[in-house]
Amino acid sequence: MNATEQRPAPSAALWGQTWRQLRESRLTRFCLGVIAVFLVAALYGEANCLWHRLRDETPAYQRVDLDKRYLPPGILRRPFAWRNVVQHPLGTDNLGRDVLQRTIQGARIAFLVGVVTALIAIPIGVILGCVAGYFGGRVDEFIVWLYSTVAAMPGLLFILAVAMVVGKGLQGVYLGIGLTTWVGLCRLIRGEVLKHRERPYVLAARALGFSSWRIIFRHILPNVMHVVIITFSLRFPAAISTEVFMSFLGIGVQGEPSWGVMISNARLRLWQGMWWEMTFVTLAILAVVLAFNVVGDALRDALDPRLRVREGA
Amino acid sequence: MIPTVGGVMLITFVLFNIVGGSPAVLALGKNASPQALEEFDEQRGFNKPVVFGWWTRTRAYPDTDFRRGMGPWAGVMGAAQIPEAAGGGGLRLTAGEYVVPLAFDLKSETIYRWEMQYRLAPGGHAEWRFEGAAPSATGPLEVAPRWQRAAAQVRTARDVSVQARLVVKSGVLELRTLRLRRRMPRPWDSQLVFYVRQLARLDLGVSLATNQRVTTMLKAGILPSLSLTAPILFVELAVAVSLALICAYFRNSWLDRSLVVTAVVLMSVNYLVWIILGQFVAGYQLGWFPIWGYESWRHLLLPVLIGVTSGLGGNLRFYRTIMLDEMYKDYVRTAFAKGLSLRGVLFRHVLRNALIPVVTNTIIALPFLYTGSLLLESFFGIPGLGGMSVNAINSADVDVVRGVVLIGAVLYVVANLLTDVVYALVDPRVRLR
Repeated sequence: MNATEQRPAPSAALWGQTWRQLRESRLTRFCLGVIAVFLVAALYGEANCLWHRLRDETPAYQRVDLDKRYLPPGILRRPFAWRNVVQHPLGTDNLGRDVLQRTIQGARIAFLVGVVTALIAIPIGVILGCVAGYFGGRVDEFIVWLYSTVAAMPGLLFILAVAMVVGKGLQGVYLGIGLTTWVGLCRLIRGEVLKHRERPYVLAARALGFSSWRIIFRHILPNVMHVVIITFSLRFPAAISTEVFMSFLGIGVQGEPSWGVMISNARLRLWQGMWWEMTFVTLAILAVVLAFNVVGDALRDALDPRLRVREGA
Repeated sequence: MIPTVGGVMLITFVLFNIVGGSPAVLALGKNASPQALEEFDEQRGFNKPVVFGWWTRTRAYPDTDFRRGMGPWAGVMGAAQIPEAAGGGGLRLTAGEYVVPLAFDLKSETIYRWEMQYRLAPGGHAEWRFEGAAPSATGPLEVAPRWQRAAAQVRTARDVSVQARLVVKSGVLELRTLRLRRRMPRPWDSQLVFYVRQLARLDLGVSLATNQRVTTMLKAGILPSLSLTAPILFVELAVAVSLALICAYFRNSWLDRSLVVTAVVLMSVNYLVWIILGQFVAGYQLGWFPIWGYESWRHLLLPVLIGVTSGLGGNLRFYRTIMLDEMYKDYVRTAFAKGLSLRGVLFRHVLRNALIPVVTNTIIALPFLYTGSLLLESFFGIPGLGGMSVNAINSADVDVVRGVVLIGAVLYVVANLLTDVVYALVDPRVRLR
């Protein structure tokens, strides 16, 4: 019993230290702020979406207003008036829909995709990786076979094929990305668990007669959790980018303003001089992905002790 | 290697034959006639049992559960839903003869089986009657006061279309479910076996959109794909490795830092944005490059440039990490201690050793040359496999998608094997067993 009761202390210390290290760098703090801003926007978008669905009316981001087509961003509009700036601050698109509202909806979908695909991929990767690493033998062979098979599938094409089979729409995006991206995590977790399997604390737990599942999930898993966190922070932006591709190609989100859909729409209008939709969506994607990449790197530096020594040298 | 190839085949099979509903409906649309769907299935082996079985579905008569609706019986004279007052949820046939509505003629010389759940009050009399069967067969239904299952088999004759009739002589026959099954001559004649046999003949099927053999399409598309992706790979490799060396040489200086920052920013810009911006600015506004087509090497310049830019960030970071990883090894310290210059150490020791992961990383990237670049090709009108795959996915051209995925995966496995071999060749510490 003592073993389990004392466990939280060192790991809590690790997380606390990580958090402190993350906050030390001004850049990382800034990026965390960017993520927070987009998270709030996504939550607002979700609330907005639910609200309109509940009231059964066309939401602002879908409302077509043909009198207000191709309005440039508020500040650039002539005649200049503050009312303009507030009304359509990022302009309107070719159907008079507000670009800001649509970008916020895009953030909502991006976060949904990032979170849901992680919720699919992480459990698969963690459970298979732990089981393979801990039990070894036949089970290990089978799981290694499974993930090397999935790893052999040609990336984006396989994701698109899964989405095609499951059906167009968000569901296809979730499953396509979620079911194909657990491989890297599984491989890493398996390696880590292999290392931990013969450690004294695991041997002690085994000597105490704990069940295998308890040892895996209560004792080993907390010690390899940093791998999960790092993978999540690096997979998140990748999932967002993939969703943009898929929606752009018409296989992803249907009938909702995701960033990919917006780019696909804005691309055709670019030639007519409507540069703002393209620009703002690009900036939004860049900001989110960049912020996640920077935070992911910082997390890796903070959590991976091997690298920590390196950087100091 | 063999198990992985088997696994790849299995995954494509599971994905397209088991998970994915009906490829026929995906490809032909929901409103296609049952006959067209059946022909599609017949050609691609989708109308067989999945792995093993005697009985298989046929689209001549869809499984109907009369609790959910009338199905094909909606237009049949005299057939009615059981009224709600009487319990509802079934088809009610009063005295008379009813031709079971079939979407198309049944196959000749095949055994079919009707399976039903029915109710027939005592005193009632009803039977199956098959016209045109050899020999003309009847199957009386026994009296069933409660819901009961029954099946009637019929063997169709050659070149005679069979009519299946439900004849109610007296009383009322009530049906809850009705379905039709076709018997396979051999139970092993299944989708899996069909698929494996097809692959053994190196046949990847026929494209739905162009009606060409998939293998022919793959052969035609490989050259354009390679002419785009091979330059991307090698230019990117050269640029990324040289920049990584610069980073390692000037490590922790402002140059190194700014290169790393640039790499992260490059990584974070979406591929699509590179393409659209490149086409719009460099192609359209500045007019430096042709935007569309596959006619001369000039048409490849812009896509190659975009491909290199978009992949550069990630590769630069990767190679820089490798170089720096080597920089902290003991032998490097020894070399420095012996008084070698930084340049000497970098080029004579570090680069040589760092080349091992560089080489393996490059070989692993080789199979992706084959699938081409999905986006670049469809944007620039290059008739390679990438653009072809995107079109195939958009039009649900199952065989083409499956073919490209399958070959891509097999090439990946081969490249993996090749990596091991090359690893042993370039690194004397590794020996193949």
